[in-house]
Amino acid sequence: MAGGMADKATQAEAAGGGNIYECDAISLELFPHGQRRLIIDQLSLDVRAGEFLTIVGSSGTGKSTLLRLLGGLMPASSGAIRFRGAAVTGAPSGVVVVFQDYSNALLQWRSVARNVALGIEGKLNRAEIDRRVRQSLQMVGLEKNAKDHPWQLSGGMQQRVQIARALALNPDVMLMDEPFGALDAMTKASLQDEVLQVHARTATSFVFITHDIEEAVYLGDRVVVLAGPPGRIHKIVEIALPRPRDQMRTRQSAEFLNYRAELHAAVLSAGGH
Amino acid sequence: MRADRINIPGIVTLLLVAAAWEASVRTGLVTFEYLPAPSAIAVAFAGIVRSGELLTNTAHTLRSVLIGWVLAGLIGGALGLIFGLSRFARRWFLASLEVLRPLPAIAFLPVALLLFSFSLTTELVVMIYASIWPMFINTMGGVSDVASRLHDVSLTLKLTRMQTLWKVLLPAAAPAIVVGARLCLGTTLVMAIIAEMIGNPHGLGYAVVSALMSIQPEQMFAYVLFIGVLAIALNYCLIVATRRLLPAYGREAANHV
Repeated sequence: MAGGMADKATQAEAAGGGNIYECDAISLELFPHGQRRLIIDQLSLDVRAGEFLTIVGSSGTGKSTLLRLLGGLMPASSGAIRFRGAAVTGAPSGVVVVFQDYSNALLQWRSVARNVALGIEGKLNRAEIDRRVRQSLQMVGLEKNAKDHPWQLSGGMQQRVQIARALALNPDVMLMDEPFGALDAMTKASLQDEVLQVHARTATSFVFITHDIEEAVYLGDRVVVLAGPPGRIHKIVEIALPRPRDQMRTRQSAEFLNYRAELHAAVLSAGGH
Repeated sequence: MRADRINIPGIVTLLLVAAAWEASVRTGLVTFEYLPAPSAIAVAFAGIVRSGELLTNTAHTLRSVLIGWVLAGLIGGALGLIFGLSRFARRWFLASLEVLRPLPAIAFLPVALLLFSFSLTTELVVMIYASIWPMFINTMGGVSDVASRLHDVSLTLKLTRMQTLWKVLLPAAAPAIVVGARLCLGTTLVMAIIAEMIGNPHGLGYAVVSALMSIQPEQMFAYVLFIGVLAIALNYCLIVATRRLLPAYGREAANHV
């Protein structure tokens, strides 16, 4: 599996000069109640193949909207979004979004295994589906819960099901919209490490939205700070912390604390609501 | 509502009411000329069971209820699906349907009678007209209220339109659709009785009216009470069927059913 992923990543690098996503001056206008409102203003951003990009910003800076645009769930008003060199029109194959509200995003009437299979049913043969479901559940530590229903699981476990469902697609990019925002601190920490393990074991790129600055530093290769409204890029910080990262050691290191302070100041000066 | 638990206080109350009724008729406490005591009704009931009259009439009514329910369910369900899925349909045609809906189905009966005379067709037309609405409204609501998040999920997992319909929208709307089907069945039974009283001289509804006309109050009461029991039994069957069909909906569906 890791080999297949690496191939895809190399192809992507060849196609896009090392960038899997390229956003060129994208804007989004909406017209709630007939009034024009600019949500995202001339935002340009690249996502490098294989990187873990985290995006922070106060509410109202268009974080989730930006992710919806990348995922092809809504079109931009102007500007261009390219995934592996091709313009994004609709949800591109190879990209999958993981949402914050896991209980709404899971099919409550399906078992865990059948939820994970949802995106690959009818696209692969039975044996391959079973293999992928098993493998994905293993990656998030839920192989024992395959037959349970989502409403029987804790919040953290439900979010793991959603992540497994995304992994079953063998994605090139996982777009995660504040996936751990509704979870307690302990659960959040263990899920962060699981996502980092997936990142280390596969060549999947991550775009990860959060409002938690420490989470952004702990996970990211780069942290984008958004300002707004309307949403625009305020600052991009490269995170040179060594991997694999560790909840205790990494978070206590002087570099981590420096990044945290730098980003905290950046988020404050970026404004927002 | 739990169907599988026997409600003892409820049954005791029922028996007490029957006993009070019996006592007040016998002692002459209430004096309606044609109010029979429960014991007299029981005797009359045994009579219509023995003569086979009850069975024939029940068979007719149940048959038309079943046909009417299936047809109304299919029409209402299909319309509900179209209107639930298509904003265009809702915007252009829903207002016209909403104008028809408050029109009491019973007012339709003379029209149907004129067109189809005293027949099963008349009975079915009135039944179906009245009972497509609960199915229509519930299916439309169920399908159009599916959380927008599930539409996002279908998009990001690249489900086709048909896959989205069969795997996501219909199962998500199933509890609401089942409620619609239950309301639909109840309405079908009510309208079948009314239509038989006026438009199609067969079945339980006609039996009530003819007992009334021939001044047989015991028999009339026996039929009326039997219709009530039949309604409860039909609803119970549907509740049991729902539990069998939708076990995986867990807690959420248990509240609907």
